[in-house]
Amino acid sequence: MWAAEKSRANPLVPLPATISAVRELTIDVNLFQVQFGDGGGFPYRPGQFAFLSAFGVGEAPFSITSLNDEGGPMEFAIRRVGTVSTALHDMEPGSVLGVRGPFGNGFPLDTFKGKNLVIIGGGIGLAPLRPIIKNALVYRDDYGEVVVIYGARTHQDLVFASEFEDWAAVPGVRLELTVDREGPGWDGRVALVPAVIKELQPTVENAVAIICGPPIMIRFVLAELKAQGFENHQIVTTLESKMKCGIGKCARCNIGEKYVCQDGPVFTFDQISGFLEQI
Amino acid sequence: MSRFLSREALLAWLDGLREGGTVVVAPTLVEGVSLYRQVPVASEIDLDASVTVVSPKEWLFPASHTIFTVERKDGRVDLRENTFDGRAVLFGLHPCDALGVHLMDVPFLAEPADGSYRERRERTALVGLSCIRCRPECFCTSVDTSPDDPTHLDVMLTLVEGGYVVAAASDKGEALLASAKPEEKALSLPEPPAPEKLPTEDLPRLFRALYDDGYWGRLADRCIHCNICSYVCPTCYCFDMRDYPRGNTAERVQSWESCQAPGFTRLAGGHDTRGSKAAKMRQRFAHKFLYFPETFDSQLSCSGCGRCVRACPVNIDIREIISDLKKIGVSSVGSGEK
Repeated sequence: MWAAEKSRANPLVPLPATISAVRELTIDVNLFQVQFGDGGGFPYRPGQFAFLSAFGVGEAPFSITSLNDEGGPMEFAIRRVGTVSTALHDMEPGSVLGVRGPFGNGFPLDTFKGKNLVIIGGGIGLAPLRPIIKNALVYRDDYGEVVVIYGARTHQDLVFASEFEDWAAVPGVRLELTVDREGPGWDGRVALVPAVIKELQPTVENAVAIICGPPIMIRFVLAELKAQGFENHQIVTTLESKMKCGIGKCARCNIGEKYVCQDGPVFTFDQISGFLEQI
Repeated sequence: MSRFLSREALLAWLDGLREGGTVVVAPTLVEGVSLYRQVPVASEIDLDASVTVVSPKEWLFPASHTIFTVERKDGRVDLRENTFDGRAVLFGLHPCDALGVHLMDVPFLAEPADGSYRERRERTALVGLSCIRCRPECFCTSVDTSPDDPTHLDVMLTLVEGGYVVAAASDKGEALLASAKPEEKALSLPEPPAPEKLPTEDLPRLFRALYDDGYWGRLADRCIHCNICSYVCPTCYCFDMRDYPRGNTAERVQSWESCQAPGFTRLAGGHDTRGSKAAKMRQRFAHKFLYFPETFDSQLSCSGCGRCVRACPVNIDIREIISDLKKIGVSSVGSGEK
């Protein structure tokens, strides 16, 4: 008559873990390596995310920017912008934080196989795309040409700059960088991301475009990709939305009836074309 | 023949359960207001309670509740989950509130289930009380229940002369009644009252047609974001989770929240996916009449209790919205305003 067993694991309760290393990526973005007590983590897929807790401050979701298949610690690239991210930035290696995850659907890698990838990122939006890029480098033969178009406000805001050379050195991989504003120390392209797409005219046939960035960038990139002939089903994005639970309950993150935490965060534009004003 | 419990026998049964360690949660007068609370003795139960101001979700999904506590000690962090190991009887639910519990079960028990809710729910039996009168705001027969409907309950009581007709509505209820010792009596049940009937058929489709209509913005103009509709609602389940630090310890607290609250969907950095009043208002009713039924292949997320109608300080009336969706939807005269 009554439930005999003790409570099963509550998905809202995090596991304590330790920050094993911190690396500064830009003036306000740090890369955190996180490990559980036994040195491991949980398996995850490119495009999934986890909640990190700064105990006593709160909890927020962050995309996992490492590639599970590389076997290293879990990594999170976090911009100091809210209360939780600020508390995390104040932590040193060895600090204990809480981790819940992984959540979300991740990128549909199976549908990317054999295709040319056009990976389009803006600012910290490169974080969830990095595992896709890494995956395409590790399993190079699974994909056609890979073009990464990445922009930020200034060149000092480009995250993972120390890895660009390695990425671009792989045959069949092109990295196209751009910044919104010129500045000393930058002699590269100065243009908004959609303008770069227009300039490069990536091949539409057998291609999939994968976007992550601020909503305003997503809107204009979408318009430009459509102008280039990309169809909604060829365009994939990963969305950011306010969320507290990650398990489809707290009712913050939904875009229409789609829950970003469970149905997403990765969507094709086929799935969300009716809700574009809500992203 | 019916099973009958006198008023005294009913209270004795509940006190017996209580003395056996079962928590009894029932309507009781708190400064003159009937609310669901743990009662120290069954005689404190407000047996005549109609629809309580706040719904019985307070027991299964408390207004605020500590999920876990962490304590920092010598560079380590100890995390202790707050669990409920007891048993409870949630007593006196009218059929609308039984439906409300079901409509809370649907999202919270869907895998991955909310751990705190599941634990309490599995350890709680629902004892219902059929309605002998309706309030003016009641519309339960419009949303898949009725004043004498035992669905979703474990035990159903019906008020008759001198006591209650008692019926088990589940195996859990039958087991619970083992200690009740009812008399067998030939009794006829009273005719249930008939609440207002609203045009709820086809509501998801009608909603879809008016999704982008200016209706939501006009309705939202008068909302003052007090959130009371969500708090009194038996089916609203939006929640917040916050940390409360104290010295070396911190508690993570899960608490009620409302989709109407400013900042509910605002991200760090300021972007807000439902920043406008219109978007917030549409969310409240789209969740109940469109997203919920579509997501869970379920009925509407409304129990027909009318609490929000009573509580809203600016007279936003869910019954009016249902009727408007029908009126505007059927005649297809959306204003086109955005």
